[in-house]
Amino acid sequence: MILVIAEQQGGTLNKSSWETIAAAQQAGGPVKVAVIGADTAAAAAELAAADVAEVLRVEAPALSPYTLDGFVSAIGQVVAAEQPGDVFLPHTYQTRDFAPALAVHLGRALVTDCVATRQAEARRLFVRPVFQGRLLADVLVEGQALATFQIGAIRADSLVRGAAPAPVRTVPVAVDAGAIRQKPEAPFREAKQAVDLTQAERIVAVGRGIKEMEKVALAQQLAAAMGAEVGASRPICDAGWLPMDRQIGSSGQTVAPKLYLALGISGAIQHLVGMKGARTIVAINKDPEAPIFEVADYGVVGDLFEIVPAVIKELQG
Amino acid sequence: MHATETWIFRILVLGFTAAFAAQVWTRARLILRARNNVHVRDEETGRRLLRFIVEVVFQSRTIAERPAVGLAHLGVYWGFTAFALYTGVEFLAGLGMADFTGTRWFHLYALALVPFSVAVILGISGLLVRRAIVRPAALGDHVSGESVLIGFFILTLMITFLLAFTWETGLAARVNWWVHAMVILGFLVLIPDSKHFHLVLSPLTVYLRSPGLATVPNLDFEQEQVGLETLADVERKQVLDAFTCVECGRCQVNCPAHGTGKQLNPKTLILQNEEALLARRLDAKLADVFGAKVLWQCTTCGACEAQCPVGIEHLPLIIGARRGLASNGEAPAALAAVYNHLERRGNIWGLGADLRQKFVQSAGVEIFDAARHEYLVWLGCAGAFEADFQKSLRSLFDILRACGVTFGVLAKERCTGDVAKRTGNEYQFQELARANIEDFTAAGVKKIVTSCPHCLRTMGTDYREFGFTAEVIHAASLVGALTRTMAVPGAGYVTFHDPCYLGRYAGVTEEPRELLARFGAEVHEPERHGANPFCCGAGGGLLFEEHEEGRRISQERFEQLQRTGAPTIVTACPFCSIMLKGALASANTQAAFVDLISFVDGRMKSAAPAGAQRP
Repeated sequence: MILVIAEQQGGTLNKSSWETIAAAQQAGGPVKVAVIGADTAAAAAELAAADVAEVLRVEAPALSPYTLDGFVSAIGQVVAAEQPGDVFLPHTYQTRDFAPALAVHLGRALVTDCVATRQAEARRLFVRPVFQGRLLADVLVEGQALATFQIGAIRADSLVRGAAPAPVRTVPVAVDAGAIRQKPEAPFREAKQAVDLTQAERIVAVGRGIKEMEKVALAQQLAAAMGAEVGASRPICDAGWLPMDRQIGSSGQTVAPKLYLALGISGAIQHLVGMKGARTIVAINKDPEAPIFEVADYGVVGDLFEIVPAVIKELQG
Repeated sequence: MHATETWIFRILVLGFTAAFAAQVWTRARLILRARNNVHVRDEETGRRLLRFIVEVVFQSRTIAERPAVGLAHLGVYWGFTAFALYTGVEFLAGLGMADFTGTRWFHLYALALVPFSVAVILGISGLLVRRAIVRPAALGDHVSGESVLIGFFILTLMITFLLAFTWETGLAARVNWWVHAMVILGFLVLIPDSKHFHLVLSPLTVYLRSPGLATVPNLDFEQEQVGLETLADVERKQVLDAFTCVECGRCQVNCPAHGTGKQLNPKTLILQNEEALLARRLDAKLADVFGAKVLWQCTTCGACEAQCPVGIEHLPLIIGARRGLASNGEAPAALAAVYNHLERRGNIWGLGADLRQKFVQSAGVEIFDAARHEYLVWLGCAGAFEADFQKSLRSLFDILRACGVTFGVLAKERCTGDVAKRTGNEYQFQELARANIEDFTAAGVKKIVTSCPHCLRTMGTDYREFGFTAEVIHAASLVGALTRTMAVPGAGYVTFHDPCYLGRYAGVTEEPRELLARFGAEVHEPERHGANPFCCGAGGGLLFEEHEEGRRISQERFEQLQRTGAPTIVTACPFCSIMLKGALASANTQAAFVDLISFVDGRMKSAAPAGAQRP
């Protein structure tokens, strides 16, 4: 039996939990899923949709907020009670925090960042990248393993769902709040950036070719017509024509949209390194020698003040 | 001289000399406890002696930057030297040890000193006026009372010397003698704790200065060296430098960071070192002594060190401290990304090798084969990945082909390690250097030409420590030699921006100007040029630090170049080109840029239409 440790916070499941359950299903044999916390009812009900033998609610008041000692103690008790074979975990930040201590506590080998498992001569091998992803290593564990799975390595949509919800059972654990050495503070939240260009699917980026601050509105109209965000190269933000959080490049944001439309951007290397990951790059520039054309998939040599209004008209018409 | 007088003088000399010696000992102990980093090789002795004569005896650096002040100082310096024996003889007599003051040769000697005393009076008067009344910014915000006092001491010494010719005996003569002697003793005790300690130490620091600019020897990892972390790690020459600083501010005036309103001031750095050493804060972290931010504001342009008249080496201190920070993972975030790129992709921008391959193929260049090719053309990160600078490389290829020079490029390159070296990531630098040298050796490379002054410095100087011997030259030097017989007039006015790593570091200042003149351009020089250019702001890893304190250095330099009135700015370094073009983009003005090699190529092609034979 494989035991999967799902991760939840405030009742919301971490999506990588589904991937790890899928990995366990593909590894073969019965699968149980444990979810840890002070109140796991919602997460457990959600997890029951998967085709698994059982969902275990591992609850104790001292398990919220998360602490390393609390989780090691709770999971240790579950493993002692359920006697699973391998234990699978998603390779999240939280797992990275407690898994080494858990491995020591259980006396098990820990295999981190796995991308798959496979069978060889009836033994389970864990596949994990080494040498910065250049090679894949098959890891064979003596005894029972603790394995973490790289996020995104196994498709969550390969998960097999059950015909009926899986049974949910509460596993009683005793966690002594006084024995927990970590004292968590309120979670730190980074000041939210006003604009997160990294998530944008389409970006219209402006460079010095726009000439005047008033003309930036033209790019904004085009972006609105395309459902795109507006970005800029450094000189535009330097000049204060657009706020700094719109800057793309080595000292701004690094973006990878599906479509990147560069208006009057010459393509200085500091800008290119911030947008070279875009899937399709379209450049409009008067200067046929502009380096941006070296990376563009489509290049238009021409006056953006003629082209852009025509494109807007076409999109709106 | 009366016996009582002699005894009083003996006691005074003993007391003042002891006070002098005690102060010197405090400093000597700090110098001696520091790790020795001074290694004078026998074969360098001749060059060092020559430098000593030029820079100490003839004060070349003191005069070069500030001719009037320098000449005044030269007068004082020669006067002092000429007076050394006079003072010695007078003191011997005063101490009652031996009296040569009545001899004929001493009278002749004293007469010969008269012109020197006049030179000193003129010199020190000029310097006093400058310090107390003119007060240039380089000398600091307030007038140093001590310096003024010493100025008057020197003046008094000369006047009492001259008065001794009129008052040969009697009370007036004795008083005059005592004033002279007491001023000398007073001066003596003021020396060690003031900038005047340079009288004692600067001949030493000039002689001991490394032969090359910004010499930062490799760290020895076997010895677990990690760079300078605390004040206790500061090395012997750097401690010596701290006590030698004459506070003239030549470094400050020439520093591009200071000049654009950043916190870094090379003069302050050296004085902070001195102050912390004397306070014996040996456990203090250098980031706290100097300020971590300050250490990362240096572009390593080398202007401070190249200008210092007393042989202070700023860069080993700054880069040494950066090494200490980098070894502890305290490099700025912008550099962490660069280190990552270097580690994973072997280039500063983290771009894929396929881009370089595409360029090499499209330019039709062969892979280097020692049997068929004379030169290896080194592309560098910019040549391999920066579309704009690749035009310069294409021009170089065309010129070499036209001149019948055989060349090839390596199938794969990695960064020379310039950024890693200058920012103190020594481990990464050495890894890159060793791997590159291995490639050169395997390919049988004997001559390398590069268009990047930073690659030139790293391979041509820093790699020597690994026993690398191939010739490394900049494209400007090679193209200069190849086109010596050509002349294409009529290109109009241009201005030329000397890259620091070409003009100041490599001393290549004539070749670019000869090339420009040969191909018809008239050069309008900007205010800082030749061997003392003003940095573009990219060196020392700052290409990647786009959030500058104060004004942008690139902006300042761009404006200096614009003020020449020349419509075209010629560059010869990919970093300078990136920075100055960035400044143009932010400046809302017009200017044309052209790379030096592309300029030559264009002129050669315009002179010889397609298909025609070129020399």
